[in-house]
Amino acid sequence: MWLLPIALMATATVIAIPLSRYAAWIMEGQYRPPRLLAWFEKRLDNGAQTWKQYAGALLIFNTVLFIYGFVVLAAQPWMPLNPQHKGMLAPTVIFNSVASFMTNTNLQHYAGEVHLSNYSQIFFVIYNQFVSAAVGFCALVAIIRAFRGEKLVGNFFLDMWRVVMYMFVPAALISGVLFIQQGMPMTYHSSYQVSTLEPAAMGVTDNGQAKPQTIVVGPVAAVVPIKMLGTNGGGFYGMNSAHPLENPSAWTNFLTTLDMMIFPFTLVLLYGRMLKRRRHSWVIFSVMALLMIGTIVWAIYFDTLKPNPGLTAHPTARSFEIPNPSAPGGKRTFTVPAVAGLPVDQHLGNLEGKEMRFGISAGATFAAVTVDVTCGAVNCEHDSLNPIAALSPMTGMWLNCVYGGKGVGMINLLLFLIVGVFLAGQMVGRTPEYLGKKVGAREMKLAMIALLVHPIMILGPTGLFAATTWGTKAINNPGAHGFSEMLYQFSSSSANNGSAFDGLAVTTGFADNPNPPPTGKQWDIATGLVMLLSRYLPIIAPIAMAASLGYKKPTPFGLGTLRDDTPTFGCLLFGTIVIVGALLFLPVAALGPLAEHLGPIPFGG
Amino acid sequence: MIRHFSKSLCFIFFSVIILCGLYPAVLWLIGQGLFPFQANGSILTGPDGKPVGSLLIAQPFTKDEYFQPRPSAASYDASASASSTLAASNYLLRDRVARQLGPIVTYGGGPKAGQLVAPDIEAWFRQDHFAGQPHIVAQWADAHNALATAWVNSDPTHSQYVDAWAKAHPTVVAKWVKDNPDTPQPTAADLAVVFFETFSKENPGKFPSRVTSETGNRKTVTTIQPVSEGSDIQSIFFEMWRQDHPTADLRDVPADMVTTSGSGLDPHISWDNALFQLDRVANKWAGNLKRDPAKVRQEIYSLLEANAEAPMGGLFGEKMINVLNVNLQLRKRYGNPS
Repeated sequence: MWLLPIALMATATVIAIPLSRYAAWIMEGQYRPPRLLAWFEKRLDNGAQTWKQYAGALLIFNTVLFIYGFVVLAAQPWMPLNPQHKGMLAPTVIFNSVASFMTNTNLQHYAGEVHLSNYSQIFFVIYNQFVSAAVGFCALVAIIRAFRGEKLVGNFFLDMWRVVMYMFVPAALISGVLFIQQGMPMTYHSSYQVSTLEPAAMGVTDNGQAKPQTIVVGPVAAVVPIKMLGTNGGGFYGMNSAHPLENPSAWTNFLTTLDMMIFPFTLVLLYGRMLKRRRHSWVIFSVMALLMIGTIVWAIYFDTLKPNPGLTAHPTARSFEIPNPSAPGGKRTFTVPAVAGLPVDQHLGNLEGKEMRFGISAGATFAAVTVDVTCGAVNCEHDSLNPIAALSPMTGMWLNCVYGGKGVGMINLLLFLIVGVFLAGQMVGRTPEYLGKKVGAREMKLAMIALLVHPIMILGPTGLFAATTWGTKAINNPGAHGFSEMLYQFSSSSANNGSAFDGLAVTTGFADNPNPPPTGKQWDIATGLVMLLSRYLPIIAPIAMAASLGYKKPTPFGLGTLRDDTPTFGCLLFGTIVIVGALLFLPVAALGPLAEHLGPIPFGG
Repeated sequence: MIRHFSKSLCFIFFSVIILCGLYPAVLWLIGQGLFPFQANGSILTGPDGKPVGSLLIAQPFTKDEYFQPRPSAASYDASASASSTLAASNYLLRDRVARQLGPIVTYGGGPKAGQLVAPDIEAWFRQDHFAGQPHIVAQWADAHNALATAWVNSDPTHSQYVDAWAKAHPTVVAKWVKDNPDTPQPTAADLAVVFFETFSKENPGKFPSRVTSETGNRKTVTTIQPVSEGSDIQSIFFEMWRQDHPTADLRDVPADMVTTSGSGLDPHISWDNALFQLDRVANKWAGNLKRDPAKVRQEIYSLLEANAEAPMGGLFGEKMINVLNVNLQLRKRYGNPS
């Protein structure tokens, strides 16, 4: 049970150490590629850029990427590799998907095997997964260079090329081969029809023929490696990594989980390596590891070690008094009767929405890790997690810096770090310093802008949707859990995570869908906007902050300097993250998962 | 600006060729060359040489001769995976599980150990008292309006039955319309709750259910009639029976047997689940083949043992069985089920 998360953490750390050395070697430009690859580099390199030019190139590239994605996805009906003649997606779904994939979110308001052809899987999904992951990576590298005081922070296009071609492609090829061997399909065919072993077990058609089972296949083993390595999370199939062809065995489950961990782990160490402050980066690494272990243990404890409370006995009746002016005495009493348990052997924990082949704690572990590194792939149904266990994935998204997404997780941590340093400075009455540079009002303002986008983009829209029929018409579970579904969707959008409580009715799919979800359009547009705003503001503002800080004169190291490579500093950072996170999100946590956990179960119906 | 723009286009042009052309092609070559079985979806062939399914994808089995996979929220449709998305707190989850349990649950201890609970549920249902109050069906519809409505919508014959009832009870319908002035023309689904209330009083101890009867010339006809036994009562009312008998000692059913998987296509069942089904499967084959049930059971048990697998060789989880694989071997060994 505990072996799986321990093995994962240990392996990912062991891989991250040499990989961070390799990544630093590549990003510092020490690798001299062979002539063919060098030719490409030469075509792309238009000279070293200042931070403003770098940020500009990043934004312009993403604009072009948006147009590319829109055109590719809208062209699906006329493109090859589409034998089932899948039609046009609804316009709002195209907008949402394009925003989702270019921001590394991969929130899917469609189901892969139903709505996308293999052409779209390759040219839209795979392409965006490689490139969007690289954008965050490059942003972090630019920040590191700015912190080093370099006026020219490198060339964006050259950086992109290096990240994609020298890191992601080789890693994806290795993973892909391992995945195929385990049973992941890799073909340009799109489906096979098989007659079932028991004839007509799938039912019969109108003219009395036994229905076949249609098995959708495709270039799954090309999508999945980069889906995990790039912490994208957008699955080939609707049910993502829970689907047996997208995650055929316990081995692939281990490897996919590992794949999504290694680059976020690596980037923290890369930060230390490139700044020549390795001890400092290990302090940050330990804080993140502690938070990750916390979320994993929480999820396993409440989901794997506890049964599904919907099926168990609740032997004592409970009464609640609720103030009500119209009732006699000003109070109404609600009684929740005692409930007898159903005869179900739940020694494996909550199995609703779990698969058997991954192992006992695999669903809970994956749920925690996938949000911590903001991957968003899922190997179990998060909507059916035990109520309080679902707090673990939500916390991961709210903090958004427990290793975090490709580059942006580390960037988010820097924001918490600056706030922490500032608070510490205030407490002892000294001007706060980071990396030997004085943190001033300008840096704090930029850090706070980036930091506050996230809670505003979660709490604002959740409130709006929960108060209107936009949200209430879309939920499929009653009570507090319905609120959790809305909250999760916006948390996932704003954290650029992409996992979801799938019960929420947002899957519009095709433009000619005869029964679209009633408020699908509103969800498409709102989450699309949230994803875009929560992606680019927290990338651009920190680059500006890093430049502002990095170009200051260094102050000499003195007795009163706050050392950033000690356990004390780790505690400061940990405390800042936990306290700021709790202040922002405890109230909604109480309305959602906590209320569901403490309230009557079963509920409604 | 323009420079960044042209470099962006240049980058996209180069990288599309490599990432969308070369990269999948290399994996395709390796996959098709080295692992053709896996790369094409792990398709198994049946006794007649035709493909019968994927080793990795669950397919439905209804016959007692076969092991049955976990229930599927996707109806085993491998072209549209789905999970139930039911929260633990949602009553519908408990209801779904209880309905599945009703017909298969047995007593765990006491004088009736090993016997099915189902006949007792029917006997209790005919008494028509729940929690000391009369009329079980009326109480059920009152407490769970959504389930009552779902019953009406689940089948066209159900709504026709309610429509016919509405015609025969104009006063009840008129009273309902008076209480619900917003709905002057109620549909069958609108009337679900009041229908069950009236039905329960007119037919104590009965529930409307499908009855298939034979007409003169060998044709069968299916109608809805009030019945006092059968699988509908065993499944729908097990949960209420349980609340009336909270201390009854029941044998636990393996959880994976009554919970849906994340994809709806989970090809495995737990070892406990396989053993739970073993007696049924063995007895059925023994009856078909006119052989000693104990011997057939032993054979099938060995087959299960030979085909048991575990996540990462047991490192991360417990033993489990691939349903299609085992059923295919049963089919090859014992022939076509009756």
